[in-house]
Amino acid sequence: MTDFLKQIATLVERGKVNARSPYPPDLKGQEGVDEVTKAALEAGVSAQDVLEQGLIAGMKAIGARFRRDEVFVPDVLMAAKSMKTGMAHIRPFFQSGQVKRKGVLIIGTVAGDMHDIGKNLVAMVAEGGGYEVVDLGIDVSTEKFVNAVAERPGAVVGLSALLTTTMGNMEETVKAVKARFPATLVMVGGAPVNAHFAQQIGADGYSADPQGAVDYLNSVVA
Amino acid sequence: MKIHMQDWKREVLASRTRQALPILTSLGFDLNGTTIRAGASDSRVQARAVQTLARAYRFAASPMMMDLSVEAEAFGATIRLSDIEVPVVVGSRLQDCSEVAGLEVPGLQAGRLPKYLEAARLVAGAISDRPVFAGCIGPFSLAGRLFGMTEIMTEMLMDPEGILALLEKCTAFLGDYLEAFVATGVNGIIMAEPAAGLLSPAQCDAFSSAFVARLVRRVQTDHFAVILHNCGNNGGQNRSMLSTGAWGLHFGNRLDLPAALAELPRDVLVMGNVDPAGLFKMGTPEQIGAATTGLLAATAQYPNFVLSSGCDIPPLTPAANVDAFQAALARFNAGR
Repeated sequence: MTDFLKQIATLVERGKVNARSPYPPDLKGQEGVDEVTKAALEAGVSAQDVLEQGLIAGMKAIGARFRRDEVFVPDVLMAAKSMKTGMAHIRPFFQSGQVKRKGVLIIGTVAGDMHDIGKNLVAMVAEGGGYEVVDLGIDVSTEKFVNAVAERPGAVVGLSALLTTTMGNMEETVKAVKARFPATLVMVGGAPVNAHFAQQIGADGYSADPQGAVDYLNSVVA
Repeated sequence: MKIHMQDWKREVLASRTRQALPILTSLGFDLNGTTIRAGASDSRVQARAVQTLARAYRFAASPMMMDLSVEAEAFGATIRLSDIEVPVVVGSRLQDCSEVAGLEVPGLQAGRLPKYLEAARLVAGAISDRPVFAGCIGPFSLAGRLFGMTEIMTEMLMDPEGILALLEKCTAFLGDYLEAFVATGVNGIIMAEPAAGLLSPAQCDAFSSAFVARLVRRVQTDHFAVILHNCGNNGGQNRSMLSTGAWGLHFGNRLDLPAALAELPRDVLVMGNVDPAGLFKMGTPEQIGAATTGLLAATAQYPNFVLSSGCDIPPLTPAANVDAFQAALARFNAGR
């Protein structure tokens, strides 16, 4: 059983999606996260263990290496892509309640901003960190964020911006979410954003990188 | 005006005083009471903004507008204009690598390319006391805008040949575009390759620098200089950027600039890297003055350092902050 879990974690970290995937070249033709996750569940490994000790462990490892500049954005995105194929096999267990996620993250790039790579990275790493992610996309209006929180009370909200001109919209969204749902936690990030700005606009959290965002979620979600 | 750029570079290197070349254009629209949308659509509006800034500030050169959507638009990408923000690409032009073969390399009449070339011609004819640098996107960043930035990051691993084929087309187009800039009379180009900053050093070599180097070889001459900008590099890509042969390397504020200066050869201009968002846009004049003074002190021993912003200075940046940046430079130079 442990072998399955270690293998899944390693395959996630290496970004090996499935047997058809040509990446990474040294694993060409070998099974990927897709096949091994399926096999693990069929062999009776608990879905919760597959999630936590396989998929999440793999994403945590790549996130930590990214933070140390040992791997780069393409590697993290490939890991996330492979993790998602494993997650597809776990999905029925979420629906039946046998496996629980840690919490919900509602994420989007704020109004006026069309950039998505930072938001996508955080969304994928958060999903790989055990969170359900509601991805609202790019150019998301304040109203859409507020409505999403109304639908998923208790969710943490993540706001992304790449432009200095849309950072103002970040503040507007933080204030609107807090006005209607004072207990909702909001974290912000993006190239021009820093901790000081986050504090200034009333956000609860800030992270400079995806793993930091997951660390923040882990610190605030019981 | 025709300027011998090798001589200009030698003068910068030999100068007793520190030179500055912040990437600043949007303030010119504010000072002229117009908008970025107008500047991105009208050659004369854009040219006047650059001239206004040249009159207002004594910087080493005049950069032109850094609009990283104009090239993708020429390839057929959808863009969105704004009064207060540089144009952005919306969505992806390509869905997968199978579409690359059918992607047509645009001619120089496509989209707003003629407006940018005409703006360059107007500025080159109007500014004679310093070099004028036009702006363009780098090949990998252009490919990312066409393919989708998230998507290209995984596809370059899954199907490297497909992405390299796309880069060939981007590079062929950029070569033609750069040659057209040479013909306008500007003295060089600042090529922005921000997406390369997300790659590993080896990926940067293969998917960016190899193609940038080809463009440099094609257009860089004694009278036309290439400055390569990569604001994502935090030091690991210095050698890769150097391998392009560009005479100037321009860095973002993630980089430890004194450390980079210690690593890079003294005959390459190293430019950067006062925080454009945190300081130029959102800081106070006191904060930007202090940060500029600190950077100048930390880099004082390197003759090849050129003071600059870490990236394009954002729209709606207060003029007082640019004034403070210039004043800090003047104080530093007075003490030399």
